[in-house]
Amino acid sequence: MEEFLTACPRNCYSTCSFRVQVENNRIRKILPYTGNKATPEGPCIKGLSYIERAHSKERIVHPLIRNSSGKFSLITTKEAYDIIADKLAVIKEKWGSQSILWYRGSGMSGLTNEIGSAFWKAFGGTTLTYGNMCWPAGLEAVRLTLGTVKHNVPWDLENSRTIIIWGKNPAETNIQEIAFIAKAKDNGATIIVIDPIRTLTADKADILFSPKPGTDSVLALAIARILIDSDHIDNEFIYKYVKGFSELERSLHISPAEAELITGIPAENIIGLAMIIGKNGPLTILPGYGLQRHQNGGQTIRSILLLSILTGNIGKPGTGFNYANLQSYVFEDLKEPLSYYPDMEKDLPFRRTISMTRLGTDMLSTRNPELKGIWIERGNPVLQSPDTNNVKKAFSSLSLKIVIEQFMTDTASMADIILPAKDMFEQSDIIGSYWSPYIQFKPRVIESSGEVSPESEIYYHLAKRLNLNVSNALIPEPGNENIERWLEKRISGIPEVTLAQLKLAPVLAPGLQQIAYEDMKFETPSGKIEVYSEDAKSKWNISPLPDYAEIFHSHDIKNFPLLLLTPNTGSRIHSQFGNLKIIKETVPDTVIHISPSDAESRNILSGQKIRVYNNIGELISRAEISNRVPSGIVVFPNGIWFHEGGGVNQLIDGHETDIGFGSAFHDNKVEIEKAD
Amino acid sequence: MRKGFIFNHNKCVNCNACNAACTLENGWKVHPRNIFTYNSDAEIILPVINLSLACNHCESAICMQGCPTSALSRNAVTGAIIIDEFKCIGCKYCQWNCPYDAPKFDSESKTVVKCNLCYSELIAGGQPACSSSCPTGALSFGQLSESSSSTSFNWFPDKKLNPAIEFTHGLNKSPLKIIPENTFAQIESKSENTKKSINSEISLLLFSYLSTFSVATLISSFLKGKFTDKMIFIPVLILAGLISLFHLGRKARSWRSVSNFRTSPLSREIIFFIAYAVFSTITTFQHIPVLIIVSSFTGLIFLAMIDSVYLFSDRRKSIMFHSGQTFVSALLMVSFFSGIILPFIFIALIKLISSTYSLLSKPGGNVFNLRFIRIAFLFIPAMSLISSNFHNDIFIIVIFMVGEFFDRILFYIDYNPLNINILIREQINYDRDEKKRSK
Repeated sequence: MEEFLTACPRNCYSTCSFRVQVENNRIRKILPYTGNKATPEGPCIKGLSYIERAHSKERIVHPLIRNSSGKFSLITTKEAYDIIADKLAVIKEKWGSQSILWYRGSGMSGLTNEIGSAFWKAFGGTTLTYGNMCWPAGLEAVRLTLGTVKHNVPWDLENSRTIIIWGKNPAETNIQEIAFIAKAKDNGATIIVIDPIRTLTADKADILFSPKPGTDSVLALAIARILIDSDHIDNEFIYKYVKGFSELERSLHISPAEAELITGIPAENIIGLAMIIGKNGPLTILPGYGLQRHQNGGQTIRSILLLSILTGNIGKPGTGFNYANLQSYVFEDLKEPLSYYPDMEKDLPFRRTISMTRLGTDMLSTRNPELKGIWIERGNPVLQSPDTNNVKKAFSSLSLKIVIEQFMTDTASMADIILPAKDMFEQSDIIGSYWSPYIQFKPRVIESSGEVSPESEIYYHLAKRLNLNVSNALIPEPGNENIERWLEKRISGIPEVTLAQLKLAPVLAPGLQQIAYEDMKFETPSGKIEVYSEDAKSKWNISPLPDYAEIFHSHDIKNFPLLLLTPNTGSRIHSQFGNLKIIKETVPDTVIHISPSDAESRNILSGQKIRVYNNIGELISRAEISNRVPSGIVVFPNGIWFHEGGGVNQLIDGHETDIGFGSAFHDNKVEIEKAD
Repeated sequence: MRKGFIFNHNKCVNCNACNAACTLENGWKVHPRNIFTYNSDAEIILPVINLSLACNHCESAICMQGCPTSALSRNAVTGAIIIDEFKCIGCKYCQWNCPYDAPKFDSESKTVVKCNLCYSELIAGGQPACSSSCPTGALSFGQLSESSSSTSFNWFPDKKLNPAIEFTHGLNKSPLKIIPENTFAQIESKSENTKKSINSEISLLLFSYLSTFSVATLISSFLKGKFTDKMIFIPVLILAGLISLFHLGRKARSWRSVSNFRTSPLSREIIFFIAYAVFSTITTFQHIPVLIIVSSFTGLIFLAMIDSVYLFSDRRKSIMFHSGQTFVSALLMVSFFSGIILPFIFIALIKLISSTYSLLSKPGGNVFNLRFIRIAFLFIPAMSLISSNFHNDIFIIVIFMVGEFFDRILFYIDYNPLNINILIREQINYDRDEKKRSK
């Protein structure tokens, strides 16, 4: 049995290190790696499921092509490359290379993902998406305010006296953080959760505040006003490091009573929360991403961030606003969120005309040239993009759909050609994390299954067939040793990190601040924390100060009175993992959660099939009546595949967030009724 | 110093990594490790507490004592209770005996599967898969402190077994404070019975009932001095034996079930079943007085052994005085068949008191009717016996036998071996009532 050290490359906070034992080219055992201080106890249930996932019988391991009867049939890799190269050449010839949409999801992270860019550039450029469905409103909010997006190392949480988990559910989405929260609690910290629903994380808290969804900025701004009025602010900190306090003070008018009307939180409790925040530091706020998947998401994050700033809870142990920690992204020229909407000139020959949020409608309306083909890697947009019906329509209108996938996802099943995608154990790569401060090496530990080729090799062979003028330095020759050589060269710009070093253990990012902003340097235009941001106004046309904007519902709220929330759950990373047997057996997802009162008024019993619908779509699935959901809210997790009764995006409008080109997933209204 | 599981409920968020790791590591079809949640329905007035549990490898391993085939044994190096799947006959008796719901029946292999503490891994210097895979460190494995703190979990069953588990934190009794207070509805979890596997054990019901009938007919024909009933009790006995096999996952291995005579009541039951079968058959053909007495007594001991199988796992003593036990039933049948009035009335009275007590103390619609009929069906034969209208009236005999059959059914309904699921449910009901009262 051979043992390797590796790291989980999913789109997840934790980015766990783990040891993997391999025997006869099979993954036998997954064990924790204690050397990573952020994830010393090892990966979550999804990480453990790699034992099944890597060798699942359901994996696609040979290229598939849709035949004349509409079904998939096997072809050899060589045939697949020949066909794809021919078709790409024809499309480029007839309509130009930008009639192809190159779509990349977040299914697997790693530096090698850049290789595709060299291919498509040499091909002549393509159309790309801009924005991101996950978190950019919050990223941009933090960037506008603090200049960079970072926070204290995860284990610093133990030093907090008050932890506010605001719209985050680490019990399911960042489980290793629970260990630090529990430690803080043992040290005497107060744990507060602010969330409309009673999450598994809330079960671990002392207090749960349940505001109406989308009103969090009101709650934060009212608390800010109370903190200022009662002088529970850090005047020295504000004087030295904050820009725009006087403007803020002048514009903040919301009273606890007014806030109560909007948020539903009683005024006295808002004052009580303000007193905890003002008096009981050090304070760490753990804001989630669901929080900013509203049309006012950016301003919401800016408003909450105010509380850390006004109380001076930045740059010290036990403090911080832990939205994202991008300190380990040292190799990227352009960090998120700016990489989601780069300068158009510098982006050539690509064009970014398609909003990630409005994928379907934007694809349909694209002209000069209009879209003829799509190439999808590491993504499942048919299931995960808002407004499914239009996404499907846009897909159906294309003459070439190439999907690189591991499993027959809802997107893969719409493809014309499927190329089998690599598993995390089949190619070496280097990954960072947006929570922990480590740069990690993920080695190739097994031979590829079947005819699986990593994207880098697919691109290599296609470049050859298309006679593209691209050097091996940009698209390495097949073979893992070549990828490792490519990685070595790729990271050579940062001499503090070498491949040899990374192979031994995770490496703390060079220049890491364990206590973020401890130097009190903020890379904003003013060099200060910008509570008042001119960029906010000039770039996004929002108020330079944090404020509250009411959410616009395109649905008729009389006919569709229930608000739909579509969070992530512990059993999946978006649409990944839920298809595995071990996950189905141990953490089955209940599809729709409704409150007892909404169930009662509609005569719905637990376990019954219900129809969830609004003006853009409908679907039928099983309901569970839950004490964890307040009345007026329906909880329908994202990532559940169509055939499992999922596909919540059929009900979700493609609305963008106020800043950052994010997706306002949580602003949709629905109605439910018994289906049978 | 003893090693065992150490659990911090503050860190457990019901992620089930332990559960998955256990099954993946061992390549099982079942899930020997589970998370038991107090207040899994998140009733607002109660806290939510998770407990990851598999086998606790108790010092007083009741499962091992009860196993009829000695399939369970203790690994000398690690102290782990290990099941030999080749010896297991799938009788599930360990499931009745274990209050932690640790043994799991694998319907594919037809044997029981349970936590083995990943003992080979442990011997090699590793850790059990569950504890090494807990992503928050809620579950760990190591040296237990001398004074185990398991007492702090009031719904943790049967600490007397000395389970190898320790809790780092006591139960935080205060529920989550929710603002606004009326955000979430308060729907009480339905206290539906998590029906134990027993109810599906019709083969055991028939086996025990037919055995009772067989012994009773043997003794009463002996008392009457002639073996008029020999054509009844032998076929009945053969039938009982065959039916009992249906209970087993692995019928072909049933011969193993006599191997743990020393500690397993189930083993003893089967040995006495065989002994009774042999003696009574010989007696039928060889009317030797000593043999008649021996076979009668063997039969009664056999029935007492059947009863002891249930009493052994009934650690809450809820069926100790149940009227549906085979021994009492056999005595009643004997006195009924032989027309001996005084003992009949005495035993019937005892059964009546017990049945009436059950009728009044236990709720349940259909079961109430059953209990009522049972009492009525005791009265009718008693009346006819006293008024000596009795004997070959087939109608009365049928009523009497049906009554006894119902009593046996009620025995299985009332037999509820102590189990963590039951304890959690009871604790929730109790705590909820407490909270309401204090309001």
